[in-house]
Amino acid sequence: MWKEIGDRESGKLRPNSFITRIRSNRLSSLLLSNHKEIVSSHRGAINSLQVDLTEGRYLLSGASDASLAVYDIQRATDYEGGALIAKHKPILAVDKQHPNGHKYAISTAIWYPIDTGLFVTGSYDHHVNVWDTNTTQVVMDFKMPGKVYRTAMSSLATSHMLIATATEDVQVRLCDMASGAFSHTLSGHRDGIMAVEWSTSSEWVLMTGGCDGAIRFWDIRRAGCFSVLDQSHSQLGRRPPLLERSTTKVTSKSSSSGQTSSAKARAPQRKVASGSGSKHSGSSRTLRHAKGSAKQRLHPGLLSSQDRATAHYGAVLGLKATEDGMYLLSAGSDSRLRLWDIQSGCNTLVHFEIVRLQSSKAIQLAVTQDSSLVFVPCMTSVKAFDVWTGKASMTLQGHYEHVNCCWYGTHDQEVYTGGNDRQILVWSPPKLISQDVDEGDRRTVAVDQDNWSD
Amino acid sequence: MEWEVDDDRRPVVVVVGLIEKATNSTKPDLDPKILKSIKSVVRHSDSELRHAAEYLISLMKRDHSQVRYLTLAIIHELFMRSKLFRALIVENLDQLLTLSVGFRRNQPLPAPPAIASKLRSKAIEFLERWNSTFGIHYRQLRLGHDYLKNTLRFQFPNLQANAARVQQERRERELRTKEILLKKYELLKSNFPSIKDEVNSIVDEISECLDILITSKEDNVPLDPIDEDDVHEFRSIELRQIRDNSLKEADKVQENSENKVVFDALRELYKVLVTKHIVAVQESVSVLVRVELSDNRLRDSMLKEFIDVRNHLKSIKKKCEEAGCVLTTPADETEEDIWEEGASETFDISTSTTPSKQTEDHANKRNDSPECSDRKRTNVIVKVEDPEVSGTKLNPLKSKLMVEAPVMKWGSFLDNWGSNRDFMANQRGLELEGHWGRVDHDATIPANKIAELNVQAIVYEEEHKEIQQCGAPLKKGGFCQRKDLKVCPFHGPIVARDDEGTPLNDTISTDDEKPDLKLFSTEELLKQAVNNVRETDKEVVKKREHDKKELKRAKLVKVRGHNEAVLRDAALASTSGSSSIGELEGREKDSLAKMLKKKMTAKDRLAQRLLSRKANAKQLNLGEDHSKYREAFPNQW
Repeated sequence: MWKEIGDRESGKLRPNSFITRIRSNRLSSLLLSNHKEIVSSHRGAINSLQVDLTEGRYLLSGASDASLAVYDIQRATDYEGGALIAKHKPILAVDKQHPNGHKYAISTAIWYPIDTGLFVTGSYDHHVNVWDTNTTQVVMDFKMPGKVYRTAMSSLATSHMLIATATEDVQVRLCDMASGAFSHTLSGHRDGIMAVEWSTSSEWVLMTGGCDGAIRFWDIRRAGCFSVLDQSHSQLGRRPPLLERSTTKVTSKSSSSGQTSSAKARAPQRKVASGSGSKHSGSSRTLRHAKGSAKQRLHPGLLSSQDRATAHYGAVLGLKATEDGMYLLSAGSDSRLRLWDIQSGCNTLVHFEIVRLQSSKAIQLAVTQDSSLVFVPCMTSVKAFDVWTGKASMTLQGHYEHVNCCWYGTHDQEVYTGGNDRQILVWSPPKLISQDVDEGDRRTVAVDQDNWSD
Repeated sequence: MEWEVDDDRRPVVVVVGLIEKATNSTKPDLDPKILKSIKSVVRHSDSELRHAAEYLISLMKRDHSQVRYLTLAIIHELFMRSKLFRALIVENLDQLLTLSVGFRRNQPLPAPPAIASKLRSKAIEFLERWNSTFGIHYRQLRLGHDYLKNTLRFQFPNLQANAARVQQERRERELRTKEILLKKYELLKSNFPSIKDEVNSIVDEISECLDILITSKEDNVPLDPIDEDDVHEFRSIELRQIRDNSLKEADKVQENSENKVVFDALRELYKVLVTKHIVAVQESVSVLVRVELSDNRLRDSMLKEFIDVRNHLKSIKKKCEEAGCVLTTPADETEEDIWEEGASETFDISTSTTPSKQTEDHANKRNDSPECSDRKRTNVIVKVEDPEVSGTKLNPLKSKLMVEAPVMKWGSFLDNWGSNRDFMANQRGLELEGHWGRVDHDATIPANKIAELNVQAIVYEEEHKEIQQCGAPLKKGGFCQRKDLKVCPFHGPIVARDDEGTPLNDTISTDDEKPDLKLFSTEELLKQAVNNVRETDKEVVKKREHDKKELKRAKLVKVRGHNEAVLRDAALASTSGSSSIGELEGREKDSLAKMLKKKMTAKDRLAQRLLSRKANAKQLNLGEDHSKYREAFPNQW
């Protein structure tokens, strides 16, 4: 740490690499935080956690007892044990008694991505509510045809403010906050939809995973889905050849050069990956078009609804796109985690060392900023896997019952996890400087040290 | 200190072996010596501690509650002491709790259920202690405690909270009494002059009354000289006692028609004095003694005055008692009859004079009325003496009963023989007032309790019995002189023998067999003989085969045993430093395994048999019924 700071001081280290080094150092030493404690007010399993995207300060949680709460994770409400433990109590809490509150379990709670004045909740009582944070009132209410499993809002969107909702129903509905109506109804899945995620590279692209095991990509400007992920359609390594990509017509990615360079550095097996996979993808695409022409009647956008390819055996429980928008991670009830190349739509065949996943509920994954680690709730623990090799690098063991959700706080490299045991745990890198306990309190607090009597 | 030498070469061996030894026992507690050595080993080396933690966790996974229980005890010992150990254990706390509390439904605690429940309660207790001492440093402890307490609703012993609550309650009670005392004190302070006035007025009145009586008494003519002469004639102490009393009586002022009014007034005043003022003064003194004030001067002065007043009142009371033993109201007399018993009176009189005074005092205290009329007293004596007189008259009956009656050894239980009264608990002459709080003077010990406390104690004496000699004839002549209870180690069971030493019963049994033999005919005998020979031949053949098999088996067992021994030796040599661990292992394992096995009780066996039979019967019945039904109702369509 000090050496790096010295290097940075003398200019040996560039600012970016300095930041990434510090971050990865801190990340590799995550521990159950003793000095930061979130006092959960929930009386049921915690289903959803999110820290707001603008300030990185307010943690929103939704629980099975139809309660939701907002915690300030930067400033503690009170201290215990001589300022050793900072307790964060909810600064806003809503439960069943609230006149417009949900009746049944809240399955999802997300912040409005632009500011913290609004947040959206979805519940098993078939409703999606939009709340005003300051007045704690429901400002908009969407009635869904079935239980709501997940909602998502695009963090990049500048031209729309649509809430994508995954429900029991086979159709994905996009709720427009501006008009209070459903703007889109996307059909293609054959079963309920468990997971929904906006692309992090394009504001128009939506990704959904259903109980039928399919992951579908939608472009909301067009009818129908434009791609269905197929687990047998795979490529080795991280990226198809550059040449092939330039020919494809899928939405252009905003990012590039930096990523490719890093990819080069990272993937020596790129050569192996080259041919077959991408070629295959190209041919399948043409094949699909051929099929379409054969059937003629069908609208070209609905062609893919004939595609019965599956991404998982069993339901898709969670989706998470990496920050750069190039890869998608999906968790399925077949206890597999898969890494997809969004651009080519191929399974990258990374083997994640997962033993078992909870299979009944949707789970919430978290990816670090530089997409090096993915946090996956595995039964009672949360495991961190290296995204590119699939090796388990950490196991966060602290919950006493199944973990449902986790969130990675980018600001201070903290991980928040919520589970069926009603606790929200904070995992943080150890403090560099241990806080001095006040002299007066030191007497009351038992000192933690060896105490051998003989 | 073998292991400390080994420490550098084989760090794993020592602590693992020690833990193995400590947990491999069926005793409810750890061996403190082994525990101490574990602690000393672990204290000096971190790597040992790490190995210990690892091994303890693996031991917790054993399928035996006893092992888990002992392991948990070791964990607790180390947990309270070592920081590193805490850090290691806390990492896997949920696993430890799963294995010790057994809160997961798919992982219940293993076999001996009694120990399993003990293990659970102990684990919960430990967790609470850990949480209260180290919870602030370990989030995991807080989480586990919180989960078990608030989510699974386990009952924690809550030792600390309970103690704190008790303390709090006691403090509150003290505070309340203090408040009450203070209030009383304030009241007293305001009432002080009035009380003093009242007391003074009554004292004045009483002294006036007494003065009147004394002046009137001087008129009385003394009768002493005549009585003096008779002294010699009263030989018995009792009679003299009576006489003394009567003499004393004579000194006192007699109530007559002249001074009746004065006496009545005196009695009235005395009653008020005793029932009201003395009690009130006593109470206020106790209040003053107990009350706690910031300024003690006023209290001290008040206390002094009150004590003076009390002493004064007491002296007055005494004077009253001396002057007028006249204070017998009719109600008092009846009361007297109830409690005053003849037995104690007679005892007092016959032995000495001082105790009689004591009882008199007692009487005064208990009744709150000091008088003890002599008229009454003489009556009592007569009453008591009556049975004695009648006893001499009924001598033949008594002697007859005496013959029948069992002779008892003397003991303290005879003190209260046949008495059926309650004893006063706080009337033994010990002044307990105010030393340890309030004393309940009327507390009694019920008669049956007293009887329980005074049962007759008998020292067991065994019956002396003559032990018979063996009496068997010896080779060198003479008889065996050994004295054994039943069996002589040299000559078998001890039986009655005649003079030559041959047992008496033996001859009879031999005689019995002969007639049986005579019944068989010779032919039959022959046949039998042939059969016998053949059978023995067959048996011999069989036996030989059996022997061969046995031999083979024995050889195999021997080989196997040898192999095992060699393996065990090798294992021991590679794992454990001390040989004693190895020796113990086999036996202890056996007993640990035995704990797991359910004992087959008589009830179980019975149930098994009954149930199986019932089941069989049921099945049979079923079959029968069915066939009957079929016959009775053939296909109706």
